[in-house]
Amino acid sequence: MKAATFNWLILMALTALSFGVAEAGVPGGAALVPVLLATLFKGRIVIDHFMALQGVGGAWRWVVLGWLLLVLGLIGYAFQYAQT
Amino acid sequence: MWCFILAELLVFGVFFLAYAFARTHDVELFNASQLELDRTSGFINTMLLISGSYFVVLAVDRIRHGHSRACTRWLIAAMACGAAFLVLKLVEFSGKIEAGISMSTNTFYMFYLGLGFFHFMHVVLGMVILGAVTLKAWRGGYRASDYAGVETGAAYWHMVDLVWIVLFPLIYLLN
Repeated sequence: MKAATFNWLILMALTALSFGVAEAGVPGGAALVPVLLATLFKGRIVIDHFMALQGVGGAWRWVVLGWLLLVLGLIGYAFQYAQT
Repeated sequence: MWCFILAELLVFGVFFLAYAFARTHDVELFNASQLELDRTSGFINTMLLISGSYFVVLAVDRIRHGHSRACTRWLIAAMACGAAFLVLKLVEFSGKIEAGISMSTNTFYMFYLGLGFFHFMHVVLGMVILGAVTLKAWRGGYRASDYAGVETGAAYWHMVDLVWIVLFPLIYLLN
């Protein structure tokens, strides 16, 4: 369970990092990539380690990871588009 | 359960993208309205759901080793996190309602209140599922060789957490 505790601490740290970036008033464009990357990393931890989909046979892991990548990718595109 | 979880993720995904692309039509309104949110409350709620998910992982590990009582305790801890999340969310929503804000105030608040309430109801459902699993675990209904019910409840709870992990930066942080 040391791995689960480590993952939990990473999730907390990445959440604090994203929150800190927003609280520090980093402009939207500069904050977009780090916050989305932190969210992607957090989502992958939940999917692979908490949902325990890593190493599971079949397409479930890739379907859920694909959902996360697609949603975050399109959110990033929409926010980038809004700045232009 | 995984088909149900996937369907839920697809629905939330559509709402997230609807928010992101609706925002492109009125960025200033969305940014100004977002500044009125209690970002700290969203941050604490994220920590609560992440911790709840961690406690559920511990509960699954305990029952995998046949420790029914320890499994029950971790499930109760996870539900306490869920309950704290719901209380904070109710305080947040009531503050907005007292300020005269509703879904018809503007497009941002339509999404903020709509998505927030939709997710809120999923946390409630997750609590109901975890409650049923906890009750069965407390009665010794699971064993090291038979704990699929705990895993199923855990998968749903992690889905609720995963959705919030995307919702929090989208609504509260990114501008």
